[in-house]
Amino acid sequence: MDMQTIVFYSLAFAAVFSAILLVSLRNIARSLFLFFVVLFAVAGLYLFALADFVAITQVMVYVGGILILMLFAFMLSNREMFRQLQRGTAHFIAIPVWQALPIAILFLTVMLYTALHVGRNEPPWITASREAGTVIRAADNTVEQLGVHTMTHYLLPFEVVSVLLMMALIGAAHLARKEGDA
Amino acid sequence: MAFYITYIVVAIVLFAFIALFTLFAVYSERKVAGFVQDRLGPMETGRYGSLQTLADILKLVQKEFITPSAADKVLFAAAPVVIFIAVFLGFAVMPWAPGLAPAAVHLGLFYVIAVISVDAIGLLMAGWGSNNKFSLLGSMRAVAQIVSYEIPAGIALISAVMIAQTLNMQEITLNQGIHAEAPALFLGIWDVGDIGGLLAWNVFQAPHLLLAYIIFFIASLAECNRAPFDIPEAESELVGGFHTEYGGLRFAFIFLAEYAMMFLVAMIGVVVFLGGWNTPLPNIGSLKLAEWTTGLGWGIGWTLAKTLLVVGVQLWIRWTLPRLRADQLMSLCWKVLTPLAFLCMALSGIWRVWVIGGG
Repeated sequence: MDMQTIVFYSLAFAAVFSAILLVSLRNIARSLFLFFVVLFAVAGLYLFALADFVAITQVMVYVGGILILMLFAFMLSNREMFRQLQRGTAHFIAIPVWQALPIAILFLTVMLYTALHVGRNEPPWITASREAGTVIRAADNTVEQLGVHTMTHYLLPFEVVSVLLMMALIGAAHLARKEGDA
Repeated sequence: MAFYITYIVVAIVLFAFIALFTLFAVYSERKVAGFVQDRLGPMETGRYGSLQTLADILKLVQKEFITPSAADKVLFAAAPVVIFIAVFLGFAVMPWAPGLAPAAVHLGLFYVIAVISVDAIGLLMAGWGSNNKFSLLGSMRAVAQIVSYEIPAGIALISAVMIAQTLNMQEITLNQGIHAEAPALFLGIWDVGDIGGLLAWNVFQAPHLLLAYIIFFIASLAECNRAPFDIPEAESELVGGFHTEYGGLRFAFIFLAEYAMMFLVAMIGVVVFLGGWNTPLPNIGSLKLAEWTTGLGWGIGWTLAKTLLVVGVQLWIRWTLPRLRADQLMSLCWKVLTPLAFLCMALSGIWRVWVIGGG
């Protein structure tokens, strides 16, 4: 067992363990801070997939933005509102959460199928690109390729996303405006 | 295995350096404050009070851990560690000299900006965990300020990166001196690749980058909660802000993180705008000053000298300017710095395409 395997499994364990703890805790403040551990551990796992840009973006957007927003929303909200959420149900399997069960089973099936099927016989396109040498290595500069592809191959989706974000921004500004000013 | 031991040794050396820097910075902070306010500062312990901070640390280390009974024990204990580690992680990609950086990654600058934003989580943890109104208010203010000022700081850095064309901190530095692989153009017209020195630094590569550096410097003061942006720990309003309830070694860690953050943001500014480990002395004809003063030892020396100079300016500003009000702080960020930073970014794009040309 080399260092990489140890780091990989400890990150995976941290992610899974804190995710389970997150949904089972009754203390919302602590769950939100545990969410931070989950996001960080998953960002570490992205590094093992050589997706360093995705990993850093995850830390920047989720930890630096969304998680802080959630904490703010939590800390500025009325305590009574969370009473209900914090009480929850005492039983492990309860009627209110039955919707989660089929989704979880579906995900598990997909993952097991992929792991068993693709893990045993490698798809031909992966073999082909490995033989042709068109693979990303750990020392490659991925951000340059990402930039070039975003501005050429994927320009239309990129523009559509930016229009969507613009709409969200305008909507947010409209919601935040005081009534009666218009 | 020796590979991993090197990493651990590097981390320990960096930690020792940060601790040493904090000792030195606290002492100089008090001396600068004394000078600005026309008094002497610490004078009793050691010659000219030089052992004062050492004595302070000794006192802090001996103190008992006190946890308020109403506090969230886990969050309260974890917060100082998270705050310090967030800043400490940032040092992983900072270049010190030619070929000398703990890790030379392609996304270095992006990584540093992302990791610094984790600091805000630690502050919220401290504020919430203390279960104290002053702490919570202080941490809310701190986070609102850090999140807002990240935008002008980040965009000012991007406008420099657009000229430098790389996020790798080591490459950004390399291209601001005599070893530049890309042409270093003074004001976009005069190739100073052979002359180097001061003229090849990023602040002089395009006229608006000087403005970008000023924006970054102001925003970085707010990001490390320094005066005139120290409203999160405003003593006259909030007792001590988010660290009101902390004492002993935990308080020492929060303090260590604050000074490490000062050094880190100063160093980011130095690397991206002020030439990093490059010498400020240019080659003048046969007087090859730039070539004589570039190297491993010189590099570390220049990085330290420049960064400490910027830290000195931070201290000077702290004891000169009064604190801003919360609404003034926000309007400065959103109505002045952010539009100017966007202007710098747009200018960088135009400069890159039409003045420097090619890519």
